[in-house]
Amino acid sequence: MKVSLKWLSEYVEIPDDLKAFCDRLDLTGTGVEGVEKLGEQFDHIVTGKVLTKTPHPDSDHLWVTTVDVGTCNVDSDGNPEPLQIVCGAQNFKEGDHIVVAMIGAVLPGDFEIKKSKLRGVTSCGMNCSERELGLSDNHDGIMILPAHAPIGVPFAEYYQLGDTVLDLEITPNRPDCLSMVGMAREVGAMYRVPYDNPLSEMAASLTLCKKETCPGKPVDVTITDPERCKRYTAHVIEHVKIGPSPDWLVERITALGGRSINNIVDVTNYILYLFGQPLHAFDYDKLCSEDGGAHIIVRPAYDGEKLTTLDGEERTLTSDMTVIATPEKAVALAGVMGGMDTEVTEETTKILLEAATFSRAHTSRTSRNLGLISESSMRYERGVDDNPIADISDAACALIIEVAGGKACSKLDCSNGIVDVWEERTEPIHLIFRIPRFNAMMGADIAPEEIKDILTRLGCEVTESEDEDILNVVAPTFRPDLEREIDLYEEVLRLFGMDRIEPTLPGGRGRFGVRTLAEQRKDIIHASLRASGLNETMTYSFADPSELDDLRMSAEALGLGEAVELINPMSADQSVMRQSIIPGLLRSVAYNQSRGVKNVQLYEIGVVFSAAEGRKKPKEREKLAGVLAGSFGEATWNNAPAPFDFFDGKGVVENLCRELCIDKLRFKALATDEAAHLQPGRAAQVLSGGTPLGWVGELHPLAVAAFDAQAPVVAFELDLNALLKAARHARDYVDVPTFPAVSVDVAFVVDESVTNEKMLQCMTSAGGKLLESVSLFDVYRDDVRVGTGKKSMAYALTYRAADRTLTSEEVEKAHEKLVKKVSGATGAEIRG
Amino acid sequence: MAITDELESLRIQTLEAISAAASSGDLDQVRVAVLGKSGTLTAYLRGMGQLPKEERASVGKTVNDVRKIVEEALSSRKAELDAAELAAAIDAAAVDVTLPGRSQQMGTRHLINRITDEVCEIFLGLGYSVAYGPEVETDYYNFTALNAPQDHPSRSMQDTFYVLDRSGDASAVKGESDVLLRTQTSGVQVHVMEQQKPPIYIVAPGKVYRRDVADPSHLPQFTQIEGLVVDRGITFGDLKGTLDYFCKQMFGEERKTRFRAHYFPFTEPSAEVDVSCGICHGEGCRMCKGTGWLEILGCGMVDPNVLEMSGIDPEEYSGFAFGVGVERVACLKYNVPDLRMLLEGDMRFLRQF
Repeated sequence: MKVSLKWLSEYVEIPDDLKAFCDRLDLTGTGVEGVEKLGEQFDHIVTGKVLTKTPHPDSDHLWVTTVDVGTCNVDSDGNPEPLQIVCGAQNFKEGDHIVVAMIGAVLPGDFEIKKSKLRGVTSCGMNCSERELGLSDNHDGIMILPAHAPIGVPFAEYYQLGDTVLDLEITPNRPDCLSMVGMAREVGAMYRVPYDNPLSEMAASLTLCKKETCPGKPVDVTITDPERCKRYTAHVIEHVKIGPSPDWLVERITALGGRSINNIVDVTNYILYLFGQPLHAFDYDKLCSEDGGAHIIVRPAYDGEKLTTLDGEERTLTSDMTVIATPEKAVALAGVMGGMDTEVTEETTKILLEAATFSRAHTSRTSRNLGLISESSMRYERGVDDNPIADISDAACALIIEVAGGKACSKLDCSNGIVDVWEERTEPIHLIFRIPRFNAMMGADIAPEEIKDILTRLGCEVTESEDEDILNVVAPTFRPDLEREIDLYEEVLRLFGMDRIEPTLPGGRGRFGVRTLAEQRKDIIHASLRASGLNETMTYSFADPSELDDLRMSAEALGLGEAVELINPMSADQSVMRQSIIPGLLRSVAYNQSRGVKNVQLYEIGVVFSAAEGRKKPKEREKLAGVLAGSFGEATWNNAPAPFDFFDGKGVVENLCRELCIDKLRFKALATDEAAHLQPGRAAQVLSGGTPLGWVGELHPLAVAAFDAQAPVVAFELDLNALLKAARHARDYVDVPTFPAVSVDVAFVVDESVTNEKMLQCMTSAGGKLLESVSLFDVYRDDVRVGTGKKSMAYALTYRAADRTLTSEEVEKAHEKLVKKVSGATGAEIRG
Repeated sequence: MAITDELESLRIQTLEAISAAASSGDLDQVRVAVLGKSGTLTAYLRGMGQLPKEERASVGKTVNDVRKIVEEALSSRKAELDAAELAAAIDAAAVDVTLPGRSQQMGTRHLINRITDEVCEIFLGLGYSVAYGPEVETDYYNFTALNAPQDHPSRSMQDTFYVLDRSGDASAVKGESDVLLRTQTSGVQVHVMEQQKPPIYIVAPGKVYRRDVADPSHLPQFTQIEGLVVDRGITFGDLKGTLDYFCKQMFGEERKTRFRAHYFPFTEPSAEVDVSCGICHGEGCRMCKGTGWLEILGCGMVDPNVLEMSGIDPEEYSGFAFGVGVERVACLKYNVPDLRMLLEGDMRFLRQF
């Protein structure tokens, strides 16, 4: 909300130090979001008096003047020194008071005043016309001020253009601060100084009614649901003349960011800014029924009822919204905006002035559902006090009569003056304030007198009780946020000053910061992936509904469930929640590749979502996914990293499972129909024993292309919970060998279909206890030397006994048995 | 020629050959030629038996003397040659130490998680534990149980992402549903208080979602860390002290904090916390928009309604809660100029941290 300090200072004293004032507002809960200094464009422009006026020696139309600008220009001793200014205007004489732009002033059109010479005569400024000052189009000569105008004061100050407007963030719990008077009260409480509320004086000025000429009561008001409208008042003002507002009113309205419309509307806005009470002026003649009376009904709208609001939009209403209606039709959207049909126009002569309160909840929902936020709705949804409404309405009437003429009756003088239907009165709330509890909870020692003073200045009635530790507090009705004792604590704390509270740390015994096993294991996962060279990233949880199809990923085959739909997504390509992290990572691969970064190694741990019919909340599962494209960096002088393939992804997973001590890690080839998103033949399911952990493989080239990335992209996606479950604390200890080992290399020629896993199974089962380890060191294919459809697999076998040195006979015997078993089971031949 | 003369001449020739040997290979040839199985000196030793008895002793001594001299010469020359060869090898092996090393790539941690770790670490040190909650919440946990008024603007379709409710329940406001993407990690507070009796000391990091268009300073998805303490005798001073400690740990001992009164539905009294600007140290600069302060988190004493709704007696217990925006810290501490970089996965960005 914008607050003019010039206006505010009419009701409360504001400190001179603007920065300190803004800081204090900030600290006490009224955020200062902006400071706008009006009249800044008149910097270096001052009032002056023409001392001498002599013709320019080299010109027939220029004058050389000396102008007294008081202390605005001083000599080296600090004494006032008049300025010599060359001037082309003809409309002035010696002794005239004028406006002078001194050196440094910047006039409209970015025209900067500099010291200059005009036909050989020095000129130290400019005597200004109204047009040059941007005040009007008048350029018939320089601006001549009245003879009583002071000399040597800033023009902005003289012309009363100087004002500072603060843009304040009023928190939603403080409707009382959405007005000048409310802010005056707040500032008064901040500095413990008194403030003035002009309401009673303004209301009392409405005393124009003469009973004998009173036209009687042409208005009646019916409220069908007091829950939606506690109080509705209507004033009728006749013989008004619609026209422009006086300058002072325009200035007030525009300073606060409003737009001057006409004198009636401007008064309603002025009162809104001043007291925070929204008002609405109807054109009486457009409102009244055939009998000449205005029969106001405040009622729920009918579902589907139409109303064209002041902004020209036709609105379709629901029964949750409230309308102001006549027996014939709806004429305004209660609390939000007036109707077009009953708008005050230049032809209007009689108005009906509405001052009412409307339900916070209904106003808020109406405003949200129609996407229509107004100064009124903003105040109603935060809460408007029903108690001062009649006074405010009187004050508004008096002001309308002042600026637009007309006649109205005061509620004081005439029972017909105002129609006031007050169905439900907001009563003040009585609270207690336990001083010791307050101080204990704040960790402070604030004296009872200070507590009383703060609460009183905020408008509370504070009285002492029989117990000296307890205060009785009556909260004012304009503070709907003060409902409980704690609400009062907050008030006292913020105005006492949070900065004055001593910082401490909580005591308490037997408290431990504990990391759960899952967190510790997640740390291991992150460390392992980083050690494998992968870089952690984060992608959107939002997904494109078509991205799984683009990826060729089958939600069904992978058990991903149905996509979770957003009701109000930001965009179509982010309208569901992700079911897999891979699309996001693949987009990042494409992002990098398109920027010339070929080597990409990324991983992410995050939640994926799945919905199911009949289930309220989606299922959330944590996944770990990674992608590898390119290689580990460019070739360097001593290192040429190999391009990534399936085995790099698999290696990452193997490292990870090793670190997590996962037993019986297996990789099972995935068939095309099990994982269409992966390149056939380079796709594996990851298992611990029989438990699936996820998959690893090269993404299908068509899937990669669908994301505008370049293949090959190696990827894996694992279920985090499954990993954590399969993880073990540590492996069992195995004795470090003390007896020597015997190494034997053997190369088997087998059919392509025989897997390494199969070979390992045969060898480990045949090798028995003596076979310590098997390591594949070469796979070789050659149509001639090995044979078509065959491959040579070379293994390094290590034989060792834990308790003795093996003899060569023992090794030979064991090895022969192994070769025989492998050959028998796989058809392998020994390659010579 | 007498044998002794022969031996003398052999000695001289051999010593010459030894000193002439240019490499350990050459030297070895000399050794083999003289002392090898069929070496010249070895031949004399072998021929001792054919000598007359009376000559044997003196010839034997001479042969042994020569052998000793030759062996010593061989060994000292070998040492010389070895040293020279090692020196030559070392010389030859010298490298340009400014050439890049050979290393395996280490991966990196995402900046946001790095900061989250840092924050959690600070609070673990203060005896807090880490808690987690779901990213999709019901209206109750995200708003109602946190004392948000039924018609609070943050509940609007403009601000909150709503999720299609598949249970068939209807919601009060047009188009909205009871299920939403959490807009704050504060809901974790409620879950914890429902499940755990005080004392409660937790931090809860996690992703949150709000309907903001992604731009340099906004993301529709970002990260928050919520803190919650509920215990007997917890004061506003404890809140101040805790967050003061946290800011100093996070940003540096020299940084100051200030508490500005504010409003949040789930805390009362509430405050926003600023940390003094690290660039201008409070003087005011572009970074802090001239204020000398940077807004860093929101906090307050847990509202009695929130405690009560979770079954905790507010007359017996009090507590405080706070929420830190991790992206905000990333901007302030690491000068990230555009938040969208955090979600793009640009390797050139990720590998800086």
